[in-house]
Amino acid sequence: MRALVYSILIVLISLLVSSAQIKKDHSGQNITCETCHVCRVPTKDDPCLRACPRLLMIKQFPSPETGPDVVVMDDLTDRYMPGVFPHKLHAQMSEMTGGCIACHHYNTLGPILNCKECHSIKRKREDITKPDLKGAYHQQCLNCHRQWSHKTECVSCHEKKNGNTGLSVAQLISRFKNKSHPEVNKPDVIVYDTNYDKGKLVTFYHKEHSTLFGLKCIDCHNNENCIRCHDLQKKNKEQISGFDLPVKVQVSKEERHLKCFGCHANNKCSFCHSNEKMKPFDHKLRTGWALNRFHKKLSCIKCHGNKKSFTKLNSNCNNCHSGWTPETFNHKITGLVLDDNHSDIDCEECHLNRDFGNKPVCDNCHDDKNWPENKPGRMVE
Amino acid sequence: MATQNRRDFLKTATFLSASALSIPTTHAKASEPEALNENRMGVLVDTTVCIGCRNCEAACKEAHNLPMETSFNINNRDIFKLKRRPDETSLTVVNEYPNPKNKLLPTDVKVQCMHCDHPACVSACIVGAFTKHKNGAVTWDGSKCIGCRYCMVACPFQIPAFEYNKAIQPRIMKCDFCFERQSENKLPACVEICPTEALTFGKRKDLLEIARDRIKRRPERYINYIYGEHEVGGTSWLYLAGQKFSNLDFPVLGTEPAPGVTESIQHGIFAYFIPPIALYALLGGVMWINRRKNSEEEK
Amino acid sequence: MEFSMKPAQLKIKYLTPGVAVLILLAFNGFVFLALRFLYGLGYVTNLDLQHPWGIWIAIDVASGVALAAGGFTSAALGHIIYKEDYKIILRPALLTAMLGYTFVAFAVFIDLGRYYYIWHPLIYWNGTSPLFEVGMCVMIYATVLYIEFLPVVAERFIGKVNFKGIFSFLNKPVDSLLRTLNRGLRKTMFIFIIAGVVLSTLHQSSLGTLMVIAGEKMHPLWQTPILPLLFLLSAIAVGFPMVIFESLIAARSFKLKPEMEVLSGLGRMVGPLLGIYLAFKIGDMAIRGTYVYLTEVNTQSVMFMIEVIVGVIIPLRMFFSEKVLRSKLWLFVASTLVIIGVLLNRINDFLVAYSPPYAFQSYFPSIGEISVTIGFISVLVLLYRAFVMIFPVISLPDKKLITQAKYAVRGGAK
Repeated sequence: MRALVYSILIVLISLLVSSAQIKKDHSGQNITCETCHVCRVPTKDDPCLRACPRLLMIKQFPSPETGPDVVVMDDLTDRYMPGVFPHKLHAQMSEMTGGCIACHHYNTLGPILNCKECHSIKRKREDITKPDLKGAYHQQCLNCHRQWSHKTECVSCHEKKNGNTGLSVAQLISRFKNKSHPEVNKPDVIVYDTNYDKGKLVTFYHKEHSTLFGLKCIDCHNNENCIRCHDLQKKNKEQISGFDLPVKVQVSKEERHLKCFGCHANNKCSFCHSNEKMKPFDHKLRTGWALNRFHKKLSCIKCHGNKKSFTKLNSNCNNCHSGWTPETFNHKITGLVLDDNHSDIDCEECHLNRDFGNKPVCDNCHDDKNWPENKPGRMVE
Repeated sequence: MATQNRRDFLKTATFLSASALSIPTTHAKASEPEALNENRMGVLVDTTVCIGCRNCEAACKEAHNLPMETSFNINNRDIFKLKRRPDETSLTVVNEYPNPKNKLLPTDVKVQCMHCDHPACVSACIVGAFTKHKNGAVTWDGSKCIGCRYCMVACPFQIPAFEYNKAIQPRIMKCDFCFERQSENKLPACVEICPTEALTFGKRKDLLEIARDRIKRRPERYINYIYGEHEVGGTSWLYLAGQKFSNLDFPVLGTEPAPGVTESIQHGIFAYFIPPIALYALLGGVMWINRRKNSEEEK
Repeated sequence: MEFSMKPAQLKIKYLTPGVAVLILLAFNGFVFLALRFLYGLGYVTNLDLQHPWGIWIAIDVASGVALAAGGFTSAALGHIIYKEDYKIILRPALLTAMLGYTFVAFAVFIDLGRYYYIWHPLIYWNGTSPLFEVGMCVMIYATVLYIEFLPVVAERFIGKVNFKGIFSFLNKPVDSLLRTLNRGLRKTMFIFIIAGVVLSTLHQSSLGTLMVIAGEKMHPLWQTPILPLLFLLSAIAVGFPMVIFESLIAARSFKLKPEMEVLSGLGRMVGPLLGIYLAFKIGDMAIRGTYVYLTEVNTQSVMFMIEVIVGVIIPLRMFFSEKVLRSKLWLFVASTLVIIGVLLNRINDFLVAYSPPYAFQSYFPSIGEISVTIGFISVLVLLYRAFVMIFPVISLPDKKLITQAKYAVRGGAK
């Protein structure tokens, strides 16, 4: 019992400490008082906060890792043992399902509020505009939990107060302490089987989008369902493990396109749709300008800036590398070390009009030599 | 003989009409509906929140001392393959329907007496065994009931159940809105137990506002309709849903109170007993004229 | 009329093969009735939570009341419109109505879950309930019918009260009681006769109001605010056919010559009455536009067509034909069709049209229910036979009179 009290204390203190790290200067924020307060002069005792504006609120949340590992819910223990909630695990999962506001739907820039600040512990109460604490907890948890567990039995989450046979609260706390959600299995490529007759298949290079194009998970997976990964009834998990076979598109046309149109709104259908599996993105094929070994390492936004619309850039090196002068430039960086004959001549002798994007010319000096059959030095890696 | 008849006729007719006129006062009083209490209570059932745990079924049985068969197990979700109705041993049941928006979140619907504002059962009952109370509850009085089952014919929601297998003192069984618990200042048993507070207990007028607010805030979650707001003149229990109520086996009903037509017919026929007395007088007149004509012919 | 007609007791043998069959059927009914009282309604009937009313209400009560309408229609004809020619039908019609209403009351009694509280409507009033009105009217009307029948009892027993043995001292008081009652009733009978007619119009129509409250649960072919009017009109229309039907059956059973002139006269009135009923029924259908439901083929539309065509339109045509009115057989057929029509209408109204929203199965009466209903009808016929043997009900030509009543009160009440 003592262990229990201590552990709860630890959790509460850690909660306080973590919340204290958030700035409390919300009065200096660029919002009007009426956004949150009903009355003109809110006090600490009577903040007269608006009832549940949910998404309209201005919010700021710490990362999942800075929140508490475990929260013990022990306000309603008349029938069951306190609930031990692995907060960090859920916070990490929430990054793909709407974020902290999925649960902390009402928070100012101040400390994270305790649910019972607004949700009454008593069911018989005056203000019935929002659910009581029991209702609020269950509405939050069961909305996901019953989708993958397919169970609504009380004892599937709660330990009975009398005749408790499962793990104790302290054991549960230690079990979830320092535990993180495992890395999510990310596919490289997914082929979608669509109904579009001029191009049935849409090849989606997931890895390109996440690494190359610089998209974050939540940019697309902002409302992912838990059962994508957690479904006790689901036998084949091909959606998670193997993406080789075309995946039949389940959602409506509008819904599917919505995700892509954020960037691809101006592309033609054939940009994505084809009757065959498409090749990965190839800068040379798409733009006619091959990426060399240095450019390959860059993410697109390094050169193209705005990640929503990658417009065509000038292929002249000076366009980006404006700081280079013949004195500071080492030709080795292009993969070709110039031999002694060529190292001292002016750039324009070979690169006409200092156009470095096009093929260099040799006929200024040589009649019988041509790039790339003849090279003015040796290639290096 | 004929003259004798005529004198008797007039004498007794006067007495009869005098005595008949004295009846209507009491009769009319009995038929006057009591005004609805502005602060009557109700329950808002949010079917998008209900998880189908069936704790309400168990709590209801416990609160009303109803038999719990050994087969009764609220965790048996196979029972949702059936569509059940409240009966004499279960005053409330939960049914499950597919949810077109998300097949993993089926829509669960708790069914019980709607506690109409203008209840058909109260109007129809031959002995007035049903009462619409100030707090909104519609209850049944076993000391009056004669077991005619007209309430079951009248109820637009088909709620009252009858104990057909009892030879003596069979009862009409229906949700009584936990009338006794409410008088002890307790919540209805189902409302108290509901883990998700899919059932919100409060004043009907407040519940309507809450319901409208929920629809306004989450238009993607709810259809813009509060079942029970206007159905058969309004009910104490109100429902919110994410799909059409007709898909959830709610009857499609008009906004007129269920007993409306019947009561206006009754009031038409018995407008202070004037039509029956007028008919009586008319028939008496016809009889008197015909007899006189007849006796004159005989003379 | 060739002979003057006088009501007289019939001197016939009670037990015949037909009677024996009826006794068996009655006994069978009583067995199921006993089970109902021992083990409850659910044990004997097919009623369930969706179908609270079965044939005991639709046939025994609703149709029973409608088919006993001969009592008030003939009373209106004989006493109020004062047609002397029809006096001979008054007592048989009165007896049928009296027995009919007794059995309606008894059918209600057995159908009530708490039959021992049948008297409750007397003290707990609910003015908005059409059932309350029906109950009160039926109760009062049955009493009125008994009072109307009292002179027949008096006629039979005055001067002939003859208790044997230790009860012989009662002979004198009972005799004088009968005489006093008879004298009093002779002066006041018209009150009861008019009351009987008024009460009948009230509860015949209110019986129709009963199902109006079922609202959407009733098929629109029958659900109409003028249901009470239709019930009243059909009850009036079936009154005379019922008298004709009974008279012809009684004549055959008791081996008498039917009074065809009287019956043809009655039949002549049926046509217009049926016509009014049909006009309202069709008119209502046209106004509410419910004829669209006739285009779909289901139990309801088929039953409606049978009810209207077989039960109303065909007999309506027949009753306007002189050939039918003069023929014993055709008159019987036409009357039977009207009776079937009204019977079907009541069954349709209470059972076929009633489609409960959550029914898992449709209702069909159980063997127990059918047995009890048939048993009731059998007892009704048996009692009728007994009554016409004990009391001067059926009128016989004077020359055939075997027993001469001391008090020759013609036609029941005067």
